[in-house]
Amino acid sequence: MSLRAIRRGALILGFLGIGLTLVFHWMVFFWVSTEATLGISQRIFYIHVAGMWTGLLAFIMVAVCSVMYLWLRDDRLDQIGQAAAEGGLVFFAVGLTAGPLWARLAWGTWWTWEPRLTLSLLAFFIYIGYLMVRGATENRERGKMFAAVIGVVGAINIPLIHVSVLWFRSLHPEPVVARQEGPALPADMLVTMLTAVLAWTVLLFALILLRYGAARLETRAEARALQRGATA
Amino acid sequence: MKRYLGQVWAIAAKDLRIEMRTKERFAAMSAFVVLVSVLFYYAVDWTILSPQDVSSALIWMIVILAGLLGLGRTFELEKEDGAMEGLLVAPVPRDALFLGKVLANSLLLAAVEIIAVMAVSLFFQVDFSQNWLAFAVVLAVGTIGFVSLGTLLGGITAGTRMGETLLPILLFPVLVPLVVFGASSTASLLAGFPPAVVFGSLRIIAAFSLINLVAGMGLFRFIVEE
Repeated sequence: MSLRAIRRGALILGFLGIGLTLVFHWMVFFWVSTEATLGISQRIFYIHVAGMWTGLLAFIMVAVCSVMYLWLRDDRLDQIGQAAAEGGLVFFAVGLTAGPLWARLAWGTWWTWEPRLTLSLLAFFIYIGYLMVRGATENRERGKMFAAVIGVVGAINIPLIHVSVLWFRSLHPEPVVARQEGPALPADMLVTMLTAVLAWTVLLFALILLRYGAARLETRAEARALQRGATA
Repeated sequence: MKRYLGQVWAIAAKDLRIEMRTKERFAAMSAFVVLVSVLFYYAVDWTILSPQDVSSALIWMIVILAGLLGLGRTFELEKEDGAMEGLLVAPVPRDALFLGKVLANSLLLAAVEIIAVMAVSLFFQVDFSQNWLAFAVVLAVGTIGFVSLGTLLGGITAGTRMGETLLPILLFPVLVPLVVFGASSTASLLAGFPPAVVFGSLRIIAAFSLINLVAGMGLFRFIVEE
């Protein structure tokens, strides 16, 4: 992809994502019907689920890019991985903030050691480590390699962490959408939730493209500076 | 196969020989273990808690913190006089290099674990004599997984500006399975349950250790590459 195409794609997706975000916030606040037992607090659910889902998608991309980078050594894979990790952390931060707000109202506590909560928190820190290692390595090439190794170690261990925290009994609501019997949500809630997930997935890809474009520009600027240094 | 094991042992023996002569890491880790037990003793109100209840958690936390201290310095040995380059040009596959390091670190940590158990039983009057064999097996199997992850991630942090400061951030999230199953099984063993009750947990700890050992063998080559 040329830089111009990346920039155009990022702009289009970015505006689309922001537009959809506005739409789904309007739906959450004014359109969707209030849930009978949980009341108004259930409206947090749309933001929480969209944030977590988008973050998860980004972290899966980091894992795939890390494995592929170690294999193919293509800088573009590393740049996409880095962009996805940054985007994923943003959406995970939103999800991890919205979760306790809802939990305080629904469960009466800000935090519990519920498996999915614990796992999300730990995953958050694994990807913070992924970015910190890269930033703290002086040799750029080694930093990429280190980050990719952490991406792989994290991807291998996340299922193990999941199993072990599941061992403690769960309080988290069961999945309501991705079930074999079909979604258990009323139609308007389902539409709101899907809009939210779509909005932030689009926004995630816009952020990844923006960040990836910036990384490409950086490499190009560096190459130019090197060239100039060589001719001078 | 015999040749490969010989290479692994050569690397481990080199590290252990250096450790035997300087006793740097062992001395520091042992002192740390004893001192942290003292601090723990004064940090807890023993009129509310009985030492027997927290001894399992204490052992795991002490071992993990002491391990962190030692594992962060695994690659310090190789920093001087271009020793790392020498090691890398040696006709030894990278995974054997990693296994040798893990072996040496595991033996070192096992020695420190003995000190930790002694310190806890001395200071807190905890009785480790029942189920001691099963207890040792759980600790040993967990140590292999902990050291595999610690050696791999320690190799990464040694190459960064932040060094050992970064190690807990990378290491602690992935140690959760070990702590969940390790601490609960040693707690049951210390409470006098028969060893059979921890077989399930031990299998998961073994899987955790094996997966991370194999992952480390595969990934180590990428972190020592220049």
